[in-house]
Amino acid sequence: MALSALVALALSVMPLPAPIDAFRPDFLVLVVFYWSIESPRAGGLALAFFSGLALDVTRGVVLGQHALALTLMAAWATNLRLRLRVFSVVSQSLTIFALLTGYQFVLFWIDGATGNPVTTFSRWLAPVIGALIWPLLAGLMSRVDDR
Amino acid sequence: MVAFRSTETSGRTTGLLLRCVLYCLLALGLIIFDKRYDHLGEMRRFLSVVAYPVQIAVSSPFQGWDWFRESVSSRETLRADKAKLEAELRLANFRLQRYEALEAESQRLRALRENTAGVANRFIIGNIMDLDIDAFRQRVMVDKGARDGVFAGQAVLDSGGAFGQVARVGELTSEVILVSDGTHAIPVQVNRNGLRTIAVGTGDMTKLKLPYLSTSADVVAGDLLVTSGLGGGFPAGYPVGTITEVKRDPAQSLAEVGVRPAATLDRSREVMFVWLTPEAAAPASAPQPASAPPPAQRAATAPAQPNGAPKK
Repeated sequence: MALSALVALALSVMPLPAPIDAFRPDFLVLVVFYWSIESPRAGGLALAFFSGLALDVTRGVVLGQHALALTLMAAWATNLRLRLRVFSVVSQSLTIFALLTGYQFVLFWIDGATGNPVTTFSRWLAPVIGALIWPLLAGLMSRVDDR
Repeated sequence: MVAFRSTETSGRTTGLLLRCVLYCLLALGLIIFDKRYDHLGEMRRFLSVVAYPVQIAVSSPFQGWDWFRESVSSRETLRADKAKLEAELRLANFRLQRYEALEAESQRLRALRENTAGVANRFIIGNIMDLDIDAFRQRVMVDKGARDGVFAGQAVLDSGGAFGQVARVGELTSEVILVSDGTHAIPVQVNRNGLRTIAVGTGDMTKLKLPYLSTSADVVAGDLLVTSGLGGGFPAGYPVGTITEVKRDPAQSLAEVGVRPAATLDRSREVMFVWLTPEAAAPASAPQPASAPPPAQRAATAPAQPNGAPKK
């Protein structure tokens, strides 16, 4: 679990060419959602909180921003987990899309409240990409987890 | 369907809300403390040290690849590079011939005017780390931090000109905001006629703008902008950019002026952190011995005395 979070953190700071940079999904967020759904007791909200804190530090934004957003959404995902497990792939992706949008919205709100708003439209791309990549990522993670 | 094998159905959902509220309050507290009181500087410095291994692990393969590519590059390429560098050096030396005389003259004139515009007196070189901090903000991570004496608000130059400012300092790394970031502004002066204004970033690495010039202002495309040294952040006289277009709409009171940054914001690998001496009034100060600088300042630094240009 900690390993997957570390890999995801590394992926989220890896340099990408500028044109496709905006299309990068929030890997760490997806990994946290996966663990919230698969086994909420293993990491729980502490995983979400500290992953968010790690994002805050690497992104250099106000401390606690990603931590707050990620904690809220991970709690929601934990709440939905029993339903999510029996959903079809499409419904799962749609739910993840909703969670990711909520996550971006909290970030957007805090950005605005602390006085450095990022109003580019492209930040709302990340939830779409994240929802599209979710079946792949969750499949891969459960495959690795089975070993 | 994604196979969740977990049969863990019970969970402590009763405690979920409580724990969620707890963590959220903690996060909110962090946000408020960080924003309002700035008490978390120490904590952030510590956390940035913890994050350092991850950052190194991510950026080292890219640096390794660069090194590999460099070491297998062909003899012809190296020869061509060498010829090019020699030509550049010859040109630079040629330009440098008058530098000493001009430097001394400018020091004398400054002393006469008791000008306090900052003069750069100390440099260290930092390498830009191959890290992507945020897709929507133009910032880079550099591998010099508080340990090397870097401080927040410090001016950063590259070989072309003004590069940016230190936004946040970690123990081993620091975050530099580029001049082209939408929230960055830098006081500048038109080199041709001394007109002062402010250059603001646009969020586009290849463009700055001058939003505070009236339509009658004397600027033309091709004018060189240099730092004015006002505000004390940047040393005076370093190139910031060249004016590329001036749009004058008679219906508006302000002109639209676009500027191409002088620094190679998207290609630089190395940047220079600059320390200023606020008093440049001592005209012919005795050259400091090379051993005088404090330990943080190692071999990469050189005092910019009248007898030598800052070495890289």
